[in-house]
Amino acid sequence: MIHLSDALLSINHLGDALLSLTVLSVLLSLGSNRLRSLITIMAFQGIVVSLIPFFLEHHEQMSTSSIILLQVMLLVKGLLIPGFMYAAVKKIKIQLEVEPIIGYNASLFAGLIFILLAAFITSRLHISLPVENDLLMVTAITTLAAGLFLLMSRHKALTQVIGYLMMENGIYLIGTALAKETHTMYVVEFGVLLDLLVGIMIMGIIVHNINSSYDDVDTALLGQLKDN
Amino acid sequence: MLELIILIPLLTGIIAMFLPVRLGRGILIVTALLHLQLTVFAWLGKIAPALPRYFTVTNEGMLVLLVTSFVFLFISLYAISYMSEAEISSEPIYNGCTLLFLATMSMVTMADHLIVLWIAIEATTLMSAPLIFLHRSKTALEATWKYVMICSVGIALALLGCFFVVLAMDIGGVHVPITFTSLGTVALQLDPVWLKAGFIFLVIGYGTKMGLAPMHTWLPDAHSEAPSPASALLSGALLNCAFLGVYRAHQLMYQAGLGDFSANILIGFGLVSMLIAAVFIFNQTGYKRMLAYSSIENMGIIAFGVGIGGLATYGAMLHLIHHSLIKSSLFLSSGNLLLGYGSKLVAKTGNMAKLFPKTFTAFFAGFAGISGFPPFGIFISELLIIMGAFQQGRTISVSIFILALVLIFAGASRLVTKMCFASCDDPEILVEENLARTLPSYALLLASIVLCIWLPDSLYQTILSAIATIGGGVNG
Amino acid sequence: MESIVSFCFAVLIAPLLPAVIQKVKAYFAGKQGPPLLINYYTMIKLFKKGSVYSTSTSFVFKLGPVVGFSTSLMMLLFFPMGEVSPLFSFHGDVLILFYLMGLGRFFTILAALDTASPFEGMGAAREAFFSTLAEATVFCILILFFRLTGSLSFNEFFSGPHVINLMGEYGALLILVVVGLYIVMLTENSRVPVDDPATHLELTMIHEVMILDHSGPDLALIEMGAWFKLLFYAGFLARLIDPFHSENVIVNSLLFYGVVTFVYMTIGLVESITARYKMNLVPKFILTPFILVFFVAILTMGVL
Repeated sequence: MIHLSDALLSINHLGDALLSLTVLSVLLSLGSNRLRSLITIMAFQGIVVSLIPFFLEHHEQMSTSSIILLQVMLLVKGLLIPGFMYAAVKKIKIQLEVEPIIGYNASLFAGLIFILLAAFITSRLHISLPVENDLLMVTAITTLAAGLFLLMSRHKALTQVIGYLMMENGIYLIGTALAKETHTMYVVEFGVLLDLLVGIMIMGIIVHNINSSYDDVDTALLGQLKDN
Repeated sequence: MLELIILIPLLTGIIAMFLPVRLGRGILIVTALLHLQLTVFAWLGKIAPALPRYFTVTNEGMLVLLVTSFVFLFISLYAISYMSEAEISSEPIYNGCTLLFLATMSMVTMADHLIVLWIAIEATTLMSAPLIFLHRSKTALEATWKYVMICSVGIALALLGCFFVVLAMDIGGVHVPITFTSLGTVALQLDPVWLKAGFIFLVIGYGTKMGLAPMHTWLPDAHSEAPSPASALLSGALLNCAFLGVYRAHQLMYQAGLGDFSANILIGFGLVSMLIAAVFIFNQTGYKRMLAYSSIENMGIIAFGVGIGGLATYGAMLHLIHHSLIKSSLFLSSGNLLLGYGSKLVAKTGNMAKLFPKTFTAFFAGFAGISGFPPFGIFISELLIIMGAFQQGRTISVSIFILALVLIFAGASRLVTKMCFASCDDPEILVEENLARTLPSYALLLASIVLCIWLPDSLYQTILSAIATIGGGVNG
Repeated sequence: MESIVSFCFAVLIAPLLPAVIQKVKAYFAGKQGPPLLINYYTMIKLFKKGSVYSTSTSFVFKLGPVVGFSTSLMMLLFFPMGEVSPLFSFHGDVLILFYLMGLGRFFTILAALDTASPFEGMGAAREAFFSTLAEATVFCILILFFRLTGSLSFNEFFSGPHVINLMGEYGALLILVVVGLYIVMLTENSRVPVDDPATHLELTMIHEVMILDHSGPDLALIEMGAWFKLLFYAGFLARLIDPFHSENVIVNSLLFYGVVTFVYMTIGLVESITARYKMNLVPKFILTPFILVFFVAILTMGVL
């Protein structure tokens, strides 16, 4: 006589699991030293993040249009952008090492600090927060902060784009965390436009390398403009 | 149909991308003229928006639109001559993109909806990036990359700010369209905590675009790498549009009774921008970078003036107008210098008074104007801001303000005297100056002088009603 | 009675399961692989042999394998395999257990240093460093489990009123703990990508290089100790993820060992598809689970 132990496989439970996976992907990306694996992690994160709204309690009655939009998001974040980035890596033969400005261990500790900070902010916001989902808020802020950090602490242009993408995921999560009524939901959906920017940046990387035969899109090499 | 102001440059811009250069130039000028005409009509209140849910005519928007359109016309006139001399291969891209850029900037000035404003500002980034990359050099690529990257981060944070403002609305239980106009009517019911958070993110986001320190790092690179007409457009028009985003947010805060909070933040950003500009302008080696830092300084002055309130707000609005006029003129002159000397470095220039007398007149007059000498308008605007600040009893801030002004004047004049009067090591003129490339500069400077001496009453009324919404006025 | 049978079964099956890893790896390499009973044959072979001791070593060298083996064996005494309660259990036994493990490692390191071989000293230094890093995670997990169950005993972790399981309360967060524990398992048992037991160059080894000088029965003891330890960690993980529950003890145990085998197979999978990290990247790999578990700990603690 075998049965699943008194499982709480409710919608909420799955949502929490997805959030945990998001945090996992954030930390893995902070520690990742290979461009390809970083892109894979971002694809995973994109899929998980765009699935989260389906599993939140207060989004149970979603309109058809927002369901379609979420599917578009899944497609863009999980498939299109990572595929695009793979193409960029392949086409212009970017070196596969990530080349951090701040080392991996220090980055991981920074991640730790972001988590603490996020927990602190969330507990402070508790009074006026509309939704009682702490995990969502903590995850969202951590993702946002880690994305910004990744953006600033890596040399390569492509890794900066990845940092930006992660930051955008964080913003999207904050939006979902706060979205309570129709107005907020409506605004959150415009986050898709940020993906457009990401796409354009990657396109810039691809196109301008082919056109003008720059050997590397390393922004460190592009370090000629400065104030003396 | 107010939207024509956006649609016309949008359409002609797309067309101009595919047209041969000569035809493209014609379209550029015709569109600029048409745009100015439509703008004046809109300013006189003769056209109404077709989509009042998203667009509206506001006093401050019209002010910025008027300045943008006016400056754009003269920059386009200059660009035609400049482009043929500079031998830029992708001139159709310039023609198309400036027009598209004009369209997005017009959209910013008329946007009433929170998200439409956001989209418009995002679009200005996308449309102006090709302009910065026009020279296709390695440094241009770097500048463009920085510009797109930093401004995108700013835009993303601004979206977060929009979330918070809308959240403040939801928590307050308000159900109105998400436009600044309708939010203003119910501002007192909005949740103050989230409104404050929203304001901070909006200021950081749009402030990045506006060049407020410490988010200004893209600005010197972009301005120095872009071809001069594009730099003039960035400095004279784009920064104002971004400022409009900040201004709208401040307006909302004022209506919600949180004006002090937002004013202090604006004063802080303003002073930091001025100080940073003062420090960095001292050791500049490139004259375009120097002008870029001066733009940062002037944006700081505008933010400061708006933050102070009262009379200073009036000064800030005047400053916005005059800065656009004078700074575009300066960037246009710097284009002549770049063509003539073939270098952006101050060290490679010199003896401008002898070598390029016409450009020298425009450049030196522009420098005098931007430093606040009469008869240029900046003299009055800065004076009004200082007086306003004293009226409000902000003694410490205003001391820092004056200190920064003095430092910047000292730093900039060192470079400018070197450029104008010191002997030049290599006095070879690559491209002679001509009237086609100096007259637009003169015209812009002349406009500044005229507006300083005689301010049309309708303009005066527009400024007054614009600043009345954030508690500013000439009577303190 | 059940406990004794369970313990004996665990001891007996411990050498069998690592062969599963080898099978999986062989499958991925397109080979047939060694028979499943290979480790038993090895044991018999080694015990038949005598030991060779270098003249420069002292009694510490002989003590190493014995202490290592016995501490590993003791771990199985405390750990509830299946849903059978273990032979020993008291409040706080987890602490004893992890320190016993530390003691075993201490003596292994000491024995390695005692040989005065530069290779072994290097391996010992690495082993000490990496396991210190892993310890942070282990204790973070213990603190977390204490928060969740109010207990410090393995038996109560899994049989008390608040059972720790992926399907239970806080299950979503436990995903992170499972990932963390998995990485700790790979680290502590010298598996790829931290250490490669199959490498051929001493300079790149961590654990294997420390036991180069051991031979015969000593080597057998060390190997057995390693298998017990792996079984302990795999069992720990299996208890966390095991979704099944049955009234019958035997069915239950079988299900449990099924999950354990699954864990072993995933190790084989990981070893087949990943390469060993460069030595300077290993600390980062070991620190990641610490931060994961730390995250869970803050979330479940009073901070929120």
